[in-house]
Amino acid sequence: MIAPFRNEPVLELRRSPQRDALLEALGALDSDLPLRVPVWIGDEPRMGDELTSTDPGDPERVVAVSAAATPAEVEHAVARAVEGAPAWAATPADARAGALLRAAAILRERRHRLAALAVRECAKPWAEADADVCEAIDFLEYYARGAIALEQAPPGLLQLPGERNTLAYRPRGVVAVIAPWNFPLAIPLGMAAAGLATGNTVILKPAEQAPGCALELVRALREGGVPGDAIALLPGEGEVGAALVRHRDVATVAFTGSVAVGLDILAAAARVPAGGRHLTRVVAEMGGKNCVIVDADADLDDAVPGIVRSAFDFAGQKCSAASRVLVHEAVADALITRLAGAVDVLVVGQADTFGTAVPPVIEHAAQERVERYAELGARTGRVLTARAFDVPSAGWFCPPTVACDLPGDSALLHEEIFGPVLAVERVPNVDAACDRVAELAFALTGGLYCRNPRTVDHVVQRSPVGNLYVNRPITGAMVGRQPFGGNRLSGTGSKAGGPDYLLHFVEPQVVTENTVRHGLVV
Amino acid sequence: MVGVVDEAAVEAGIRQAGGELAAALPQGARGPMRALDDRAMDFASQDAELRAALFRFVDVVPACRSLDDLARHLTGFLDDVEDPPQPIGIAMRMGDSRAGRAALGAAAAAGVRRMAHRFIVGQTPREAHGVLRGLWDDGVAASVDLLGEATVTADEADRYAARCASALDDLAAVYAPLPERPLLERDSAGPTPRVNLSVKVSALTPLLRPDAPELGKRDAAVRLRGLLRRARELGAHLHIDIESFDSREAVTELVLELLGEEEFRDGPSTGLVVQAYLRDSPALLERILAWAATDRRRFPLTIRLVKGAYWDHEVVEARQHGWEAPVFEVKAQSDRNFEALTTTLLGARPRVRVAIASHNLRSVANAIAVNRLLGGAPADVEFQVLRGLGDDLQGALAASGQRVRAYCPVGDLVAGMAYLVRRLLENTSNESFLAEQAAGVPLDELLAAP
Ligand SMILES: Cc1cc2nc3c(=O)[nH]c(=O)nc-3n(C[C@H](O)[C@H](O)[C@H](O)COP(=O)(O)OP(=O)(O)OC[C@H]3O[C@@H](n4cnc5c(N)ncnc54)[C@H](O)[C@@H]3O)c2cc1C
Repeated sequence: MIAPFRNEPVLELRRSPQRDALLEALGALDSDLPLRVPVWIGDEPRMGDELTSTDPGDPERVVAVSAAATPAEVEHAVARAVEGAPAWAATPADARAGALLRAAAILRERRHRLAALAVRECAKPWAEADADVCEAIDFLEYYARGAIALEQAPPGLLQLPGERNTLAYRPRGVVAVIAPWNFPLAIPLGMAAAGLATGNTVILKPAEQAPGCALELVRALREGGVPGDAIALLPGEGEVGAALVRHRDVATVAFTGSVAVGLDILAAAARVPAGGRHLTRVVAEMGGKNCVIVDADADLDDAVPGIVRSAFDFAGQKCSAASRVLVHEAVADALITRLAGAVDVLVVGQADTFGTAVPPVIEHAAQERVERYAELGARTGRVLTARAFDVPSAGWFCPPTVACDLPGDSALLHEEIFGPVLAVERVPNVDAACDRVAELAFALTGGLYCRNPRTVDHVVQRSPVGNLYVNRPITGAMVGRQPFGGNRLSGTGSKAGGPDYLLHFVEPQVVTENTVRHGLVV
Repeated sequence: MVGVVDEAAVEAGIRQAGGELAAALPQGARGPMRALDDRAMDFASQDAELRAALFRFVDVVPACRSLDDLARHLTGFLDDVEDPPQPIGIAMRMGDSRAGRAALGAAAAAGVRRMAHRFIVGQTPREAHGVLRGLWDDGVAASVDLLGEATVTADEADRYAARCASALDDLAAVYAPLPERPLLERDSAGPTPRVNLSVKVSALTPLLRPDAPELGKRDAAVRLRGLLRRARELGAHLHIDIESFDSREAVTELVLELLGEEEFRDGPSTGLVVQAYLRDSPALLERILAWAATDRRRFPLTIRLVKGAYWDHEVVEARQHGWEAPVFEVKAQSDRNFEALTTTLLGARPRVRVAIASHNLRSVANAIAVNRLLGGAPADVEFQVLRGLGDDLQGALAASGQRVRAYCPVGDLVAGMAYLVRRLLENTSNESFLAEQAAGVPLDELLAAP
């Protein structure tokens, strides 16, 4: 029997031995760099150096040297995945789960090194990197259990005399996982684990910024017992993903990333290629423009740190991060002053230094994008942050920016920035705030600071978002506790880490058997 | 030292000291004219939902903009109470009309203000003068604590430091003309300051991060040094409170490091806090005592022993993260550890001065008993109570010739709300000694070994 699911505990970083262990692992990792990442199909890894990932805090440091999949390799990977599908599908759910749980145990054993890798390759600060490892483990543990339950205890159907009705869930076939870099461990592994647990074969196309992390994941899955034909690693740029999405034999696409790419995937998937024999299903988690509403009765002692964390931790590079604050005019001045002051003391620095809140962003293009928005904020509104941050000159650092008094149609209020930029707006009341939230095309996360239970109920009713957080930061969803995913253009409404996520990776089949023979029920 | 005192003798000593204190407690402290806030607290002790409603309400009071707003919040919270007692039903009906809400809001605001006055001695240090003088007249010293909103910016940290500095000046002026009270001003190790201020490191820096103690330490050190200098000039005592476990390492290290600096060898008199509910508190105390053993300072470090005020927070945080809680989870374990640490501390004099901060008759009687068995003078152990919670005990301690100090928070309602809610929680918690005492548990049981 498998013990009930519980979240993998994050390291207790308030104790210094735990911090020392991470720093030691980082030292060890550094001496192994660069990692070599293959295109890995079946049992044949092909090394190459078409792709490199570098440390965003020190772009001279190469973290991984990777092969990039060619069109022929995409073909080959899909062919092998198709071949491998029947055997993996026929493996009972508990045996598949066994492989995933062994992979989880392997990650647990290597957790310090994996966190160090996320620090280096994606500039995730320690606490976030460690949480990423834990979430990756959680996905394996959670979906493994979920798939067993789905197979062994599917929902019951109405039974009448003379017939036997059964509902079962079958794997759909080949799953292409197209993953982002911001949760370089948890998100690719979560999507892959859902596919694998339910008996699909999976091809993982990691973000080109994070092939090193992806290699560690595939390695753990394979060492845990997932067959080579059931999990392939195809590092590469966008065209690898594009080819997978359009492939006739890819049945499901699990995607997390920008709305532009997501919409392209949805459009491509809707066209059935010549000879195609299924509708490609897309599970997409796209961007957000996440708002935090602060009512007049909010406790600013909680709201200010909560907003700062939500907006600026990991430099705002989370789809759940806060990017707008809608504050009741009665407390707006106080909030704005305190918020600006709280942002002024944030430490902008290297991800490997404990205490860093705002690490560098992922790459040069991201830095330029963030700077454009910050300039726009300064030009068309008022920037509240006063301090000139002394940021390291190498590395893609962006000082945190808080802007207010922006025009209603400002890009800062509508576009996803994915960086440390926060816009603050005054509203006359909570309903006006809800109106502005309702105008947005995104609906991923939202926040509310308010102490009147009736107002809380009211805002819940009016909120379109997939995840609403009341009186707490709006990031940090936990597997099994806060199933995560957005509505509207933020996603297909699937909830990663929730009880119904696996249903996106299966096809229900109902069998009805006549049990009457010669007028007798047999 | 530990183990030197014999257990049976201690138990007998506890019965005796506890009996003396109990006899000195005022009888029937609460008269027939029980105030609304008293009734509210009684309700709260009996019903978990009401308790939650009451705390949520008290917590939001300073953020409400009108009586109407107050009443709407109150009825909103009471909505969640399933079987409201009759007075609550009446309150709910008042919430249905504008006039009713104004009346309800006014009554509720007055009730909360009264509660606050019980625990908070004034909005400013100046307003507290009368109370502080009155305490001194009654043979009770004080430690003033400046309440404030959380510090999230550098400005706020500067402002808190400035308030502390001016409070020190102010207190020096208050205490200078007061008559001598030898029991409060001198122990076997020498003179002890009259002026005593408790400060919180979390208010001295916005940068306390659990995973980066260095960051907060560096930032707070600048402001704390300034306060230490001021306290030394004025001959005042500065006590550094300890808060949640997240900041424990940073705060303890900061204090020991600063006190190790040459300029603070000659003062001021300073103090630290050890929380007995922490599993690792015996080891921490050993470390502090080892530090004190090598440190030659004019004023021995004062160690205030408490059980710890953040128990719920520590347990919830640990549960949410899947950690073992840093605190004991059985109340008796905290009580037993408090006694063990008391013995260790009393045995460590005169390297350190000892303050026993508790409202628990057994915990206090234990310290008196051990002190007597070790041959200590009454002045060689100080008892500390919180204003509003330990008033009766404070009177009994003073009457029986013990040295006692009241911890006196100062601040306005907005700043004081977090403190007030914590005290109310403590006052109505099933596990609290005060609740047991109020429920009429017999003295024998109150004094029984935990
Ligand atoms: C003058 C003074 C200064 C203080 N300064 C500080 C300070 O700087 N930092 C600080 O943290 N606290 C401080 N306190 C508060 C103190 O820690 C206690 O919260 C309070 O005094 C109640 O303890 P007690 O011994 O009076 O009462 P008791 O009723 O005997 O004990 C209550 C305490 O037991 C502990 N407890 C409750 N339930 C459990 C359980 N299930 N398992 C284990 N333990 C449990 C908790 O610590 C709780 O506060 C101070 C108290 C005083 C009087």
